[in-house]
Amino acid sequence: MTVAISHLDLLEAESIHIFREAAAQFRKPVLLYSIGKDSTVLLHLARKAFWPGRVPFPVLHIDTKWKFRDMIAFRDKTARDFDLDLIVHTNEEGLKKGINPIDYAPSVYTDVMKTVPLKEALDKYAFDAAFGGARRDEEASRAKERVFSFRAEGHRWDPRKQRPEMWRLLNGRLGAGETVRVFPLSNWTERDIWRYILREKLEVVPLYMAKERPVVVRNGQIIMRDDDRLPLKPGEKVEMRKIRFRTLGCYPLTAAVLSDAEDMESVVAETLGARTSERQGRLIDHDQTGAMERKKQEGYF
Amino acid sequence: MSAQPAVKKSSITAKTVEMPSAPPRPAARTLAEVAPELTGMLRLLTCGSVDDGKSTLIGRLLWDATDLYDDQRETLRRGKKVDGGNPDFSLLMDGLVAEREQGITIDIAWRYFDTADRRFVVIDSPGHEQYTRNMASGASHADLAIMLIDARHGIKHQTRRHAAILDLVGVKRVILAVNKMDLAGWSEETFRQIEEDFRKLSWRFGFWEAIAIPVAAVSGDNVAQRSENMTWYKGPTLLQHLEELPSRGTESTGPFRFPVQTVLRDVRNDFRALAGTVSSGSIRVGETVADALSKRSARVKRIATMDRDLEEAHQGQAVAIELDIDLDIARGAVLSKADSKPVAARRLETRLVWLNETAYDPRGAYLLRTATDLVPVSSLEIRSLLDLETLATSPSSVCNVNDIAIAHVALGRGAAIDTFADAPETGSFMLVDAISGASIAGGVVTEVSAEAAATGEDTFVLTRASLERGLCADIKDRPEAEPEFRRRANEVALILRAAGVAVEIESPPDYSI
Repeated sequence: MTVAISHLDLLEAESIHIFREAAAQFRKPVLLYSIGKDSTVLLHLARKAFWPGRVPFPVLHIDTKWKFRDMIAFRDKTARDFDLDLIVHTNEEGLKKGINPIDYAPSVYTDVMKTVPLKEALDKYAFDAAFGGARRDEEASRAKERVFSFRAEGHRWDPRKQRPEMWRLLNGRLGAGETVRVFPLSNWTERDIWRYILREKLEVVPLYMAKERPVVVRNGQIIMRDDDRLPLKPGEKVEMRKIRFRTLGCYPLTAAVLSDAEDMESVVAETLGARTSERQGRLIDHDQTGAMERKKQEGYF
Repeated sequence: MSAQPAVKKSSITAKTVEMPSAPPRPAARTLAEVAPELTGMLRLLTCGSVDDGKSTLIGRLLWDATDLYDDQRETLRRGKKVDGGNPDFSLLMDGLVAEREQGITIDIAWRYFDTADRRFVVIDSPGHEQYTRNMASGASHADLAIMLIDARHGIKHQTRRHAAILDLVGVKRVILAVNKMDLAGWSEETFRQIEEDFRKLSWRFGFWEAIAIPVAAVSGDNVAQRSENMTWYKGPTLLQHLEELPSRGTESTGPFRFPVQTVLRDVRNDFRALAGTVSSGSIRVGETVADALSKRSARVKRIATMDRDLEEAHQGQAVAIELDIDLDIARGAVLSKADSKPVAARRLETRLVWLNETAYDPRGAYLLRTATDLVPVSSLEIRSLLDLETLATSPSSVCNVNDIAIAHVALGRGAAIDTFADAPETGSFMLVDAISGASIAGGVVTEVSAEAAATGEDTFVLTRASLERGLCADIKDRPEAEPEFRRRANEVALILRAAGVAVEIESPPDYSI
């Protein structure tokens, strides 16, 4: 017999299956939540997988304290709306030392304020599995990633220790000291994420939508001035411009684009119509060649 | 700020920068234009060696038929040219080749592209002999395979080997892309001979659908555009054929199977449902379902999802099934219809591909991972190995990485299992090393028996009573703790087996009587 299932339905079912497998196989999973669009989809799928119950694991946000204010407000509202067990973790040591994205090279900032606290939090709560929103279409080094991605002690990713995955079978039996990252969105593309947000009418951080916001232009990039922690360089002036963000990371590492797209539908039309590859707005990826591969080996998501 | 001497502050040069002007906006593109509704999805495995032009073929397909980004097209246009002044299409797949050179042991690269109305997922795996395991694991995810050969060389041993692996993991649709027809003088005779050889090969493996297409990847002949050099060929182009094949998830044939992943509860609404994905067939509200292990049955009261309740659930759908009576079913159970149940299996005949560098050890502690169950293996016996060149089997008691073996598996307790031919998802398994957790082998079940191997005098039976007395005292008589009970029993069995004791785990009570 023949039935029609759309490709988004197939992707959704696969992700729900992965969530349920991981929740059943691991002792103490956690969902890594970065507040962005992929996290929004990830969380929505987790809710579907365990409905009508609550999401049966906590949601962890690594707060660098340099997130846009709108992102934090959205995070807290989301946690309330969906009755989530939200854990917010910050590298207090790094904070005390004043490691910030303005005075430090992006690689240092990312390591100290993102990678280190992520490992800290995973160890502190003894999570054995962490759900993340990584997709195989994002970047060449992720194209070979498994759905269950194993990490040796110290959260190291060893390509040689990755397990073959066959059919729909997922093997989550852990060896000594091992933990796992679980990627339910492995087979989604950027286009699928946007389309799914539209289809499911998901609420996203307002920064994805165009609005008049205070910006400065630096090295040809449009940087939003979310607060006065961004010192102006001589000659720079703050202007109000209608902008939005294609990706959301740390302020001011994430550049904005000029846009008139005020609602989700025009955002998606504009984003997917852009005709150039994703992640151009994220300065951190341009920092170093092979940056993603290196970050991953060190334990970055 | 004092602790950062090693860190150089970002250099700052004061410069007046103009606000970039708004990006040029081409006529606004509508949502329907930039993200058209896709009507299906197809996962395809590409096999063949780099020399056969695999990267070029897929690259050409991406170039001609898909939504490449402008910057990708521009990079290619500016890059070096190959024969006939064409861009080097293989560069579109090239990132993956570089990955492979890093020495990744089991390496399958996934790539996604959309044609006008379909999502294609290209699963790329190396084709050389030493990579049998990579190809087998890649192929297990595929709906069809494109086998690529060089028209000048015809069907070689490698093609036969690939066909055997596809057959093993259940790929039923195959395309033979006969490439480099330009170098074979666009000869119909050459193609027809290869097509004939391919037909014989396909009969041998029982592929449902096998088609040979003459192509020239570099110039794009018969890839997305009909070749003007081969007017004698009346069949579909590669793209045409790919777009006409049935999409993933549209064929809901086979017996109903629903491996239970977990039990969902909502005490506030007195809701208790079995969560899982329909792995075969379909089910409707009101139908009777059975559990092969406890031999009990119940009627489907409700098929629920967060969005809405369904009247019917099909293969591939993730749902929650509520039954009219509580069967105390836990993870590992497989729901079926009463007249076509999986076997409460104790012994299996299997074909498997050995994936791990560590060779087979007759005394090793192994677990069998089925759709949602994890069962201790009480004995794993390698019977013979398959020679992929001759397709003949020869007796063997050893098994190493990349070997394809015929093996007998005895399970420490019953598990709901089918033959692969009846129901692929509940008829396939991973063999797991109980100590390291590594996935040691992947296999398919060819025969399944509910009869346990004759219990020898020295077989120790791990009874429920003995477990309830101490180790499981905290969870006895609690049906919802059955998965935990089973987990502990498994671990005890593994320890005993590692100590050389033959073990059998007593099944939960049979309620059918």
